[in-house]
Amino acid sequence: MRLILRQFLDKAFTLAAAVSVLIIVGILLVVLVPMFQKGLSAVFFTETIEFRKLQKETHNRGNDEALQRRIEQTNAARKPIYDVLADFSLGINTESLVKEAKDIYQKYGEYLNYHNIPKDQYTEYRKQAKDIRDTMIAALESDNKDIVLANLDKVLAQEENPIYKDSPVQKLFILALQYQKTARTIDVAKRSEYLTNLQEVTTAIRQLFGPLPGEALPPLPMDQYGATRMDMAQKALHILLWDEAWVSDGDGKPLVKKNISRREQFAGTALEPLFDQVEKNIDVLLMPQFRCYWQYFIDDWVNSHYFGGVGPEILGTLMLTILAMVFAIPLGVISAAYLVEYAPDNHWIKLVRMCINTLAGVPSIVYGLFGLAFFVVTIHAIGKPCILAASLTLSILALPVIIRASEEAIRLVPQTYREASLALGAGKFRTLVNVVLPAAAPGILTGIILSLSRAAGETAPILFTGVVAMGPIPNFGSPSEWIRNPGSLFGGLLQPTRALSYGSYDIAVGDRISMLVPHQQFGMVMTLILLVLILNIAAIVIRSKMSKKLRGY
Amino acid sequence: MAENAAQTSVGQKKAAVGFSRSLLLTPSEDLVGFLSGHLGRAILFCITATSVAAVLLIFYFVIRESIPFFYTGTAASGIARVKEFFLDTGWYPSATVPRYGALALIVGSLYVTIGALVIAVPLGLLAGVYLSDIAPFSLRQICKPVIEILAAIPSVAYGFFAVMVLAPWLQTHLGFSTGTNAMNASLILAVMALPTIISVSEDAMSAIGREIREASYGLGATRAETMIKVVLPAAHSGILAAVLLGMMRAIGETMVVWMASGNASRIPSPWWDVSQSIRTMTATIAGDMGETPKNSEHYYALFTVGLTLLVFTFSLNLISEYLLSQIMRNKRGGK
Repeated sequence: MRLILRQFLDKAFTLAAAVSVLIIVGILLVVLVPMFQKGLSAVFFTETIEFRKLQKETHNRGNDEALQRRIEQTNAARKPIYDVLADFSLGINTESLVKEAKDIYQKYGEYLNYHNIPKDQYTEYRKQAKDIRDTMIAALESDNKDIVLANLDKVLAQEENPIYKDSPVQKLFILALQYQKTARTIDVAKRSEYLTNLQEVTTAIRQLFGPLPGEALPPLPMDQYGATRMDMAQKALHILLWDEAWVSDGDGKPLVKKNISRREQFAGTALEPLFDQVEKNIDVLLMPQFRCYWQYFIDDWVNSHYFGGVGPEILGTLMLTILAMVFAIPLGVISAAYLVEYAPDNHWIKLVRMCINTLAGVPSIVYGLFGLAFFVVTIHAIGKPCILAASLTLSILALPVIIRASEEAIRLVPQTYREASLALGAGKFRTLVNVVLPAAAPGILTGIILSLSRAAGETAPILFTGVVAMGPIPNFGSPSEWIRNPGSLFGGLLQPTRALSYGSYDIAVGDRISMLVPHQQFGMVMTLILLVLILNIAAIVIRSKMSKKLRGY
Repeated sequence: MAENAAQTSVGQKKAAVGFSRSLLLTPSEDLVGFLSGHLGRAILFCITATSVAAVLLIFYFVIRESIPFFYTGTAASGIARVKEFFLDTGWYPSATVPRYGALALIVGSLYVTIGALVIAVPLGLLAGVYLSDIAPFSLRQICKPVIEILAAIPSVAYGFFAVMVLAPWLQTHLGFSTGTNAMNASLILAVMALPTIISVSEDAMSAIGREIREASYGLGATRAETMIKVVLPAAHSGILAAVLLGMMRAIGETMVVWMASGNASRIPSPWWDVSQSIRTMTATIAGDMGETPKNSEHYYALFTVGLTLLVFTFSLNLISEYLLSQIMRNKRGGK
């Protein structure tokens, strides 16, 4: 019995250990899958005609003629929708109609003056026109359908009156006709409700197809185009078709979200067919098409990451890390070679090793503080947060990683290699340079790649030393300028840059506009993870090849 | 060492073959070689000493920038500052009467770190046991890269995950009022500390020799008994080092806690309520430094927070290094 229990406990232990490994693999999947799933949609997605317009206008990409033809097709398809909307909104917005009626009355006065009407007739005409205006306004402001229609009839009865022929009052009759059409179909009492809903519908239409015809071009690029992607179009379409409302579900219960169909809201009105028109013809209206937007990785943003890509961020990250490696690799590899090949076993070397370990354990934010206090504040040649200060800070962070990896790699070179070289008469230094380092190169390379990937992902050290969320791409000038004046290259290094890591922070937490476009947020992080993963997989591959080679001997 | 070996073998050959003199040149015969050798060595040593210089510079600058926070004229005011910093929970640097009480920040850092360890240590140790003793070789070859990738994902990506994926999930599924809270930060920090804990503890357990395990099996113990009663106690110093290194990774982490902890500088009450937002030392530095003018009191206070953090991780590092040197001794003793 005791034995069975012990065996059971043993099995349980094994199971728990296996499950823990499974959990860890699961965690990796849970973290990576959503990032890649949503991030890849920044590159692979169903584009619409609006996206093609954007690409044409911002980057001059795509076939001009074909695009023009497509735009004309969509414009033709959109025209009836805009017409229905314009018709309906004209009749529903009574406030503006009242204003217009008053306007027309005033113009009529000017018209009468212009035509030199005799004084007594003038007063008479003015009075009649004022009557019409007041009846019209009464019709517009009344909530009772019968009164509205009766007043409108009164107004329209004057239409045939010859004195109004060719005068501005004609326009008033047109308004009255329009309003009559609208007033017959809608419940006049709910006019203001219709108006708010109409505004939502108009906004949704703008989100789908861009600014309405005749509207001034909005200042922000994000408002200048309609839905550039099908997933965003679907969202806008949902807003168009459904009104989200929080309705109470009995007393005391929390409010629940409920979708109310706009078709029902506008049932019986002139606007009702619009919803079917948009929903059924969405393919013609937007011309969706699959797109591999690889330019995401080279494009700059448009309108703070609402459109565009992460090109400058990738460039900035590469600049920072490669420059950091330029400083860290020689120092790290030489240190490692010295520690393995030359260092005597004394207290100084123990101190050096302890310092390397300490360096590896310093929190990254403290590196940032140090970089700020030393490179930015103390060294006057730098004097401000810039690429140089940030990459110097990163190089110190990468140093212990490189030293440890290189030390390991150099130590793994078989002793026989060194002895063979020494036996051939080579000195110690020559042996190191010609035999040991080449043999250890793959291992050192692995360490370098890993530290590169760590440096690329670090945010805290560069936070105060040279990274910005939004800013111009660092300008290094042209190569011919470098030859004439090498200082210009250094000047380029004294500018701050954008980086993927800080960009990922900012796009998730800091930037309000990006919150509207999750694919852009996830796209940035995916790019960072992709970069780091590629580097790591390269390191793993190099190492496995190396271990095969070493086993071969 | 290689040189010594070569020298002795040369010496032995000399005796056997009978060279008239040592093959090694004396310094006077090869002055250039001698000098360049020593000079080269000196240069190499200087390059190696960069790391020492870096550590010293880091300490120097962080201490230099935090001294003005305490040294405000009189000794009494300095002591009052120290007291305020370590015993006050109010961190209001931009109030009209600014208060720099970092107690809530220190507690916040420790809180998420311990929370992370509570999750990561059992999981990490079990995974370490599995990888060192249970898993077949081929499976280990698959698991290693997985753990490496887990360690390689940048902290800002974890922070992004915490804010964009985990926080909404916690809010909807566990009914927390806010998704960015101590629990969120602890969970993510646990994931980040896992790779360190797994690899160091696995190394420590592998370093315990085969003989010890075989002796235990020979006495009729099952694998679970061997692991729990023999290997884990034998590897305790390495496992402690693994925990400390994981702790260092968690306490020094900036982006995740900045993004996921909610940044409310207060001590959770009741203490077990993980759904409350907290604020850590690292997040305070990262969040405040951008808006702080240089050489202001707030700036110095942030450096003081940095110094506290540095001292904390430095002492953890020393302890773990001592423990790891114990393992090395075990390893040598085992052989």
